Amino acid sequence: MADYRELWTNLGMDLEKHDVLCAALPELYGGVYLSQQNRPEGMNYYNFVISEVHGLRIKELDDHKKAGGKVVGTFCVFVPDELILAAGAIGVGLCGGSQFWIEDGEKVMPRNICPLVKAMVGAKVGGTCPYFQSCDMLTGETTCDAKKKAWEILGEYTPIHVMDLPQMKREKDYKKWAEEIEDYKGKLEELTGNKITEEKLAAAIKLCNRKRAVLQRLYDARKALNVPISGKDALLVSQIAFYDNPERFIEMTNKLCDELENRIKEGAGVASDKSPRIMITGTPMAIPNWKMHHLIEESGAVVVCEETCTGTRYFEKEVDETQTTMEGMIKALADRYLNINCACFTPNKGREEDIVRLAREYGADGVIYYNLQFCHTYNIEYRQVEKALKEAGIPVIFIETDYSNDDTGQLQTRIEAFLEMLK
Amino acid sequence: MEEYNYYILFPNVTEGLKLEKLLKSEGISYTIVPTPRELSKCCGICIMYEYKDENQIKLLVEKHVIKTEGFRNLQKKKQAVKFI
Repeated sequence: MADYRELWTNLGMDLEKHDVLCAALPELYGGVYLSQQNRPEGMNYYNFVISEVHGLRIKELDDHKKAGGKVVGTFCVFVPDELILAAGAIGVGLCGGSQFWIEDGEKVMPRNICPLVKAMVGAKVGGTCPYFQSCDMLTGETTCDAKKKAWEILGEYTPIHVMDLPQMKREKDYKKWAEEIEDYKGKLEELTGNKITEEKLAAAIKLCNRKRAVLQRLYDARKALNVPISGKDALLVSQIAFYDNPERFIEMTNKLCDELENRIKEGAGVASDKSPRIMITGTPMAIPNWKMHHLIEESGAVVVCEETCTGTRYFEKEVDETQTTMEGMIKALADRYLNINCACFTPNKGREEDIVRLAREYGADGVIYYNLQFCHTYNIEYRQVEKALKEAGIPVIFIETDYSNDDTGQLQTRIEAFLEMLK
Repeated sequence: MEEYNYYILFPNVTEGLKLEKLLKSEGISYTIVPTPRELSKCCGICIMYEYKDENQIKLLVEKHVIKTEGFRNLQKKKQAVKFI
């Protein structure tokens, strides 16, 4: 097999510690993914990406850097990929989804912080994530208190630019967000030495919209009565979208969708027509966080939609492509991105509307509200979401968890009881 | 009876992808998987195949001069998933 140890050494990684993660991944992936029956053949591409997750893609980033290019790390769906691409840089999503990184995270952060933030900080301070190690600059944002303070820690390791995301959606907030985008444009130009022209930005907007369109196509396939792809496979595709080469990702995901649409015509589904259809809403699921989907689908249900940052919030609503001036394009970016309904906003009525709409569109029998421990905004917002779903007659259950194995038995019991109630 | 999974290992990604292309065009079913730790310490892709196709795949490998690091097998495990 290919030996990436030299590459990892050059990136300053802790090889011995990183090896613990490398050793555990094949077995986890085998248990969660390869044990599934009747998987679409097109999933072979994503098997390939995961198998090479710390190998081939890191080599591609390295080649890009050797040719003078820059790599920019991001942590949130509010940060416009369009600008990174227009500056000739490569963007990679860096959120941490593994318990493996928690221990190092807790060395520099309090324990009562959400696992996603602890894991991403741990991945950097422990030197065990080659994506982090490849970044020339990180881009933070002000979506929660834990992240805001985490930037100060990460900034000790890698230069970081923080975008100040407004937390209300008034006209002046849209203006303010457009200014933040303008500042980010300047920062990327300074980092890369490349000017972001109207032409480059227009091309990047089109590329990102094509990526959104293919993800929407994937999700549309999940609306079928005979669901052609498992929820965990769809989740994996969404997770990979955050760091794969965009053109290749679009091509391969379109091929997968061709297969899924044929499956729908032929009635070849992955679940029985009696399987409850579950929608997940709540906090993001970064690789390799497949815990909730695995527990739900092992219990005989199928996940048909995620109203999360690793789901619909990432791809719904395109950026207006008709703008030709820089000012117009930046406003179009601000309008699209600030319209994402994250629990960091007050009020956040739009999210309640999204959840009810999506539950109906995807024919969900029930909703699982997924909350990562210590994520206060999503936790508190459950009250309103529960009320909206009850009014719409859609059953919902609240599940708070982390990345560990400690609660899997208990969660399984709660999920099974919820599914039983839906029958 | 003990059940086994069958794997082909490669010295690099390129050789693996070359064989993948051939398997696809010949209509032989396969799955790309992360290399099981028991077979190699280096991470990266390997190809899992069905035992009934082994001879046909070996002929393809020989004919198209694809470099492999061997055809291997491992006993199937049935254990609970441990999240990492």
